[in-house]
Amino acid sequence: MSQISTQSSPDAAMDDHAYQAVLDRLATEPALADDNITLTSAEAAGVSRLLLGLGVVGLVIAAGGFALNFRAGFAAMQIGLFAVTAIALGALFFVLVFHITNAGWCATIRRQFENVASLLPLCMIGVAVLLVVELATGGTLLRWLGTDYEGHHLMVHKEGYLNPTFLVIRFLVYAGIWTFLAFRMRGWSTEQDQSGDRWLTRRMRFNSGWGILAFALTTAFFAFDFLMGMDFRFFSTMWGVYFFAACAFSSLAFLAIVFAWLMSKGKLQGVVTSEHLHDHGKLMFAFTVFWGYIAFSQYFLIWYSNIPEETMFYIFRRTGDWALLSKVLIAVHFLIPFFLLVSRVPKRNPRFIAAIGAFMLFAHAIDMTFIIQPMVDAGEEKVIGLSSWWAIAGGVLGFIGIFGFLLLRKMVAVPLTATKDPRLPLALNHKNYV
Amino acid sequence: MADTRNKPGSWTRDIAMMMGTYIPGFAKPPARFVTEDGRAVHGVLAEFKTPAEVYHAAEKVRDKGYKRWDLYSPFPIHGIEGAMGFKRTKLPLLVAAIGFTGAGLGLLLQYWVSAVAYPLVVQGKPYGAWEPFVPIMFELGVLPSAFAALFGMLALNGLPRFHHPLLGQKSFWRVSDDRFFICIEAEDTKFDAQEVRTLLESAGSTNVELVEDDA
Repeated sequence: MSQISTQSSPDAAMDDHAYQAVLDRLATEPALADDNITLTSAEAAGVSRLLLGLGVVGLVIAAGGFALNFRAGFAAMQIGLFAVTAIALGALFFVLVFHITNAGWCATIRRQFENVASLLPLCMIGVAVLLVVELATGGTLLRWLGTDYEGHHLMVHKEGYLNPTFLVIRFLVYAGIWTFLAFRMRGWSTEQDQSGDRWLTRRMRFNSGWGILAFALTTAFFAFDFLMGMDFRFFSTMWGVYFFAACAFSSLAFLAIVFAWLMSKGKLQGVVTSEHLHDHGKLMFAFTVFWGYIAFSQYFLIWYSNIPEETMFYIFRRTGDWALLSKVLIAVHFLIPFFLLVSRVPKRNPRFIAAIGAFMLFAHAIDMTFIIQPMVDAGEEKVIGLSSWWAIAGGVLGFIGIFGFLLLRKMVAVPLTATKDPRLPLALNHKNYV
Repeated sequence: MADTRNKPGSWTRDIAMMMGTYIPGFAKPPARFVTEDGRAVHGVLAEFKTPAEVYHAAEKVRDKGYKRWDLYSPFPIHGIEGAMGFKRTKLPLLVAAIGFTGAGLGLLLQYWVSAVAYPLVVQGKPYGAWEPFVPIMFELGVLPSAFAALFGMLALNGLPRFHHPLLGQKSFWRVSDDRFFICIEAEDTKFDAQEVRTLLESAGSTNVELVEDDA
């Protein structure tokens, strides 16, 4: 294989000899001792059972929503499903970013991002079920699938895009790309743990290149199809970015809890330290601000230009139950995390950062509710509003419980950190100088 | 009567010293130590040959409890802030205070202008609508924050300055090449030329000299 020489990248500039020196060093690194970087099934069993219990109970409660009406129960399930799908998507995004920037500090935390991202195909099975139900019922929340709006001038106009066949094809493309990226990124990374082949790092970086472009487009169109598309009249070019911001925000929040839990179990000592949590927290802060910026930009332009097809989204969400929910959303999704994360101290403390992460997941659930739940009442006589909050809470907790349960199964299967990444020495010595 | 304004180590004296440096004609507090021919003493300068030596010397000076001293090196030395016992800077608090003040004043200004002093209907929007205020609040939060960060950093570092007493020392010129220096200043409350000299020599300095303030 030809040696590609590049400037300052730690893995590319490295020849086999230098990589061997890295491997020799890592072999004697006390922090990479087996019991420090592996989670046994026995250690995970308690939490695993707890999460499974939470998941089952949550889903049963959410299913109670079907008693109100079919759409309320369906929305509760969808809010939970999209909350965890966003978490997995955000984790995939960060895996790609870590590779494409060739960053050193995140080599030790990347494995957990890979684990979370590898649940994306399972989320896609959930979305597939959701899509089948939508198609079978002739549009439960994706109302344009039904016959209600046949002949509507906007529907006629958008028919080339908004038709069931194309929707299914698009979904298969998203699911295919994400499944490939999520499985292969984790697969190559764990393969490197076994083989110690430094070229796998190059391969992951190469695939991140097209992967991140594909990720950007598929995430945006996924959000257009399944969230924005619930009201076929509404459109916002910001919508893809808005959903992406939610993905990045929620995945960082979720992973902060994962790391804090692993550290409290006495795992990853000296591998994931306060320094890594600090930088993780900086990303949480950054994407809190990013969400605020994106959400405001979307709202601001629609508010200013005052075009009926766009404003109805917000006008509806400024009446009834939703007026309060919108205000709560601004507070919990932007203002409170902003002030919690702005200082240095909470970012470096595992307990603090996990608590903030839990709060941010709550905000994420509110965000998904804000997007999906109002659509339950669209065009209906009987107003459900937020009266089915218990079903939504059940749906979110249920899906997060099942998600966590499945994640633990991924976590016990492989080491908790990459063990032969060429950038690992950088990550192990990571320190924030400011 | 004891003049507490001139007490070594007090912030009033620090400010008076700074003003005396920058503003011509501003009376500088008298020097704490003078040489036999009456010139003010800036401090004691010690030369070291390697980063490791200066690193360990810094730890010793830190442990002796000196506050007004600095270390000079041709390049950054990793971990030196720990060896010198640096505290975290107060700059973020300053930036936050100024940033929030700016954003708050931006809000007040716009609300007063568009809802109180001169209400004007623009595009049928309410007078006190908060939405159009946000970009300007953002700007007035960010710009003063950036200024506070830059100029606050310069002020806390005592910059800009056109001259420094150390630049008059010929041996110090090698600081941009291959020598490392520690200078303990006479403004330190614990300063005693003889003690400082002994400490720095025992810390492995090859050349210790007294620096006069030639300003």
